[in-house]
Amino acid sequence: MFLARIDGTVVPAAKHDSLEGCRFLIAQRLEADGSYGAEPVIVVDWMGAGQGQTVMISNDGDIARERYGNTTPARMVVAGLVDHVHIPQPRSTGRAA
Amino acid sequence: MRLGIVRGHVVLNPAIPELTGKTLVVLEPVTMANLKAKNGLAGGKSLVAVDGLGAAKGQMVAFTEGREAANPFWPKQVPVDAYCTLIIDTITTGNNQQQGSEVKQ
Repeated sequence: MFLARIDGTVVPAAKHDSLEGCRFLIAQRLEADGSYGAEPVIVVDWMGAGQGQTVMISNDGDIARERYGNTTPARMVVAGLVDHVHIPQPRSTGRAA
Repeated sequence: MRLGIVRGHVVLNPAIPELTGKTLVVLEPVTMANLKAKNGLAGGKSLVAVDGLGAAKGQMVAFTEGREAANPFWPKQVPVDAYCTLIIDTITTGNNQQQGSEVKQ
């Protein structure tokens, strides 16, 4: 699972039969230092994530398979909308570097 | 899923029985920088994927990687680890709309 920011929506011209009626979003992976991954990802969403929102994406197809059937190739799904993330700064050792 | 641009097709002869009759395409994954620049370039490391949608050369697709790529052939066991799930029509980011077919051939 990883955090990502929703960038926008994707309209497919054709899709796998199992994914009829699905909502697809384009997202960018978030790193701990606040930077973004180099490649965008396309995710399936039924949580109603909006543009600019930070979400957690699950990179396991089991939940999609349960929802869309055994033949679905869907894998990355929005598992939740992030309320807040707490990343503490590295603790000081008290010694001079 | 990642985004990729179809750069060509692959024909195997001979091939293992599990792969006969399947269309194979060469994909070049698209990086965010190239997608934003709308320059028709992709920039990722090429890979081969199975395509059941009939994607043409130059079209942008979204492809699934890993175990789930073999799901469309369930319950058959096939050695497939990349599968074209969507052909892209439009990507909208903010006020910026981009057609999947805008990419250069």
